[in-house]
Amino acid sequence: MNRKVIREDLDSRIFDAVNKVLLVCFMVIILVPLWNVIISSLSSGRALAEGGFIFWSKEFSLENYRAVFNDSTIGQSFVVSVAKTFIGVITHVFFCAMIGYGLSKRYIRGRKLYVAMGVITMFFSGGMIPTYLLIKSLGLLNSFWVYIIPALFSYYDVVILMNFFRNVPDSLEESAKIDGAGDWHIFLKIFIPLSMPAMATIALFNGVGQWNDFMTTKLYITDQALYPLQMKLYEIIVQSQTQSMQNIGGSVVIETTTKGVQLATIVITTLPIVAMYPILQRYFISGMMLGAVKE
Amino acid sequence: MIKMTKVLGKKTLKPVLLLMAAMLVAAGCSSGGGSTKEVEVSLEGRYTVDPETPAWQLDKKSETTDLTWYVNADWWNTDFGKDVVTKKIKEDLNINIKFITGDDTKLNTFFAGGDMPDLLTIFDSNSPVVQKAATWALPLNELAEKYDPYFNKVAAADTLNWFQLKDGKTYGYPNYSNTQADYDSGNIPAKTAFVIRKDVYEALGSPDFGTPEAFQKTMNEIKSKFPDMIPFGFNAIGEGTGSLGDALQDFIGVPLETEDGKFYNRNLDEDYLTWLRTLNAVYRDGAISDDSFADDGTGFEEKVKSGKYATMLLDGTPQQGGNLQIFMSANPGKEYMAIDGPQSTVGHQPTLNQSGITGWMINYITKNCKDPAKAIQIFTYLLSEEGQKLMNYGVEGVTYKSNPDGTVELLPEVKDLQLNNADKFKKDYRMGEFMFFGHDRHKALSKDAFPESIKQMQEWGKGKLKPHFILENINPDQGTPEARGQTAINTNWNTTLVSMIRAKDEATFDSVLAEHKAFLDKNNWSKIVEVRSEKMKANKEKLGIK
Repeated sequence: MNRKVIREDLDSRIFDAVNKVLLVCFMVIILVPLWNVIISSLSSGRALAEGGFIFWSKEFSLENYRAVFNDSTIGQSFVVSVAKTFIGVITHVFFCAMIGYGLSKRYIRGRKLYVAMGVITMFFSGGMIPTYLLIKSLGLLNSFWVYIIPALFSYYDVVILMNFFRNVPDSLEESAKIDGAGDWHIFLKIFIPLSMPAMATIALFNGVGQWNDFMTTKLYITDQALYPLQMKLYEIIVQSQTQSMQNIGGSVVIETTTKGVQLATIVITTLPIVAMYPILQRYFISGMMLGAVKE
Repeated sequence: MIKMTKVLGKKTLKPVLLLMAAMLVAAGCSSGGGSTKEVEVSLEGRYTVDPETPAWQLDKKSETTDLTWYVNADWWNTDFGKDVVTKKIKEDLNINIKFITGDDTKLNTFFAGGDMPDLLTIFDSNSPVVQKAATWALPLNELAEKYDPYFNKVAAADTLNWFQLKDGKTYGYPNYSNTQADYDSGNIPAKTAFVIRKDVYEALGSPDFGTPEAFQKTMNEIKSKFPDMIPFGFNAIGEGTGSLGDALQDFIGVPLETEDGKFYNRNLDEDYLTWLRTLNAVYRDGAISDDSFADDGTGFEEKVKSGKYATMLLDGTPQQGGNLQIFMSANPGKEYMAIDGPQSTVGHQPTLNQSGITGWMINYITKNCKDPAKAIQIFTYLLSEEGQKLMNYGVEGVTYKSNPDGTVELLPEVKDLQLNNADKFKKDYRMGEFMFFGHDRHKALSKDAFPESIKQMQEWGKGKLKPHFILENINPDQGTPEARGQTAINTNWNTTLVSMIRAKDEATFDSVLAEHKAFLDKNNWSKIVEVRSEKMKANKEKLGIK
């Protein structure tokens, strides 16, 4: 009997060890390219031009970052980006949750019609030019609200929330109603706190989307003051690519390369969103726990 | 209310949705229709036109004119009025320009949305937008007649004729449009060269590259003596043929047309194919790197910058000027220099190409323009001697001085900034960058216009240029079956070229070539040749070439 315990112990230890090795390999596969990007972005253009894989900076240089931050308006773009992501995520999640809550109630009138309408939007969209015309006639061109209002609704997110809300036991709602709570109260005090994992998921999806989006700016915004970071960086990259095209006389000794600027840009744009993840992570963990205790 | 729910039941869902769809379509169409109404401006109280004086000098309009100018390029610097060049334009013309940039997507939304900018600059003169210019732009000849006859003095008649649409009017005016007269003047520098690193050239004792045999032999020598280098490089192949297509054909002087003036398939020219066979042999010797076929523009540039190639067939020397200069400054005595390189095996002379009469960017004044008089004044101003010098060299006395022989020279402190603080130079002066109407002719005025690194290459190219006007814009019209065939053929030729050079033996080379010939027949080649020959004939008529 004793031997058996030891054997099981050994088995599980081997299993653990193999698991650990596999996970470390997996981690290396993910981390090495990331590391390469970070280190390359901190290398001088000359070192990058020589090519080859870089593990450690051959010639440490902050030139790439200087080239990106050289633009005086980048601070403002950062503010626009943060504002549009922050406001966008909060309004989007709240709006979708309201609709999802409504649609999760089987007694709602015309529910099937609404659901059918929503499904159609998942397959067909107006197309670029009709959408542009719509945005234009709504007076949203060159307005900060073009980042927020058209992004309020996503049927996909509504479906996720709707299904989540359906899983909340009816009895909770009934007992609250007996205690005299109204729809708003039930929605805000019972459903939202209970659905934090779903909300966090959608917030993260939408946040990443908002943060990375530059198509909206490209199409609807011409006012530089409203450019988010992504658009600004897109411009910087395009300009660094075409610098040689506009042949300015004399020697233009540039310490950076297009690749270096691109890498620095990747780091700058990815860091804030990566930093957000640990903050949201606890909701994902608590989400699993919540699932575990369900009947 | 209960009834309502029933009404909105399953059965009626379809009609409701159909109705909604119809409403959406209707809404989409109604506002899309062109709201392009021409603006008539009255010149009363402003000026009376005078053919001898540019209108911008006469115009007494006191309030500043605000204009929006759309440039179909994301990289365009949208600042206006902050640097030396645009500040002067702003003051002289009393205008304020708001630049908008974007790509084709944005351009399409502008056209669809009907809110056109006042001025518009695009790049592709073969695009449908240009063909339909009459529907959205104002004709330059009429504007000139009405508001600024001096325009005709500064605009090149050949260029205006070239861009005339079927209605006999000209709507757009390009930059870098070189006419026959420009070619004849000798002021246009060549942009193609076969270059070699000076240290390599000297170490090998100034070898010959002229004949296929010599070329192959020297490449092998480079390979054995300089193992770290790639013996032969060429422009990134990417979506086109790099510099191994047209550029090489021009280099060895492949004829532009058949003897009876029809379209000639230069890709299948025997002389050219002989050189491709040589390149294949060189590749098999290991003197062409496989990377060269995979590199994109950036990859190629970075190799140029670090002097990785021993020799290069380089197309677009000014575009590589910065990179060549970086290598030159860091490695004195090793700089790239142009030599005669590959030559025709049947005795043709080089017929190097330069930007032709079609030019590069084309500028338009749209029908929505708030003040067409002001707009044509901008055209005249920028095209005049004064405007050209301003764009390239700034303001006389402030940034440059004129020499007695008619050339110009940057002032020492400006030159110093150009060499040592490119960022500040770009930001504060922006010379050579505001090139809507830029022109090679004025670049020739100063030795400061091009980087040191390419001057020898330009010198080498003297007398080797030949206009390729007859071959410009001869592709079949977009949307026709011939155009589709053409696109397929171009792609096929691109891969064929790469496969031929990388062929493992001569038999493979021949079979790949035979496949391409079969592909041509399958894709309506004879019809495409017909269309092109027809367009070449029209080109000749426009330019008065027999």
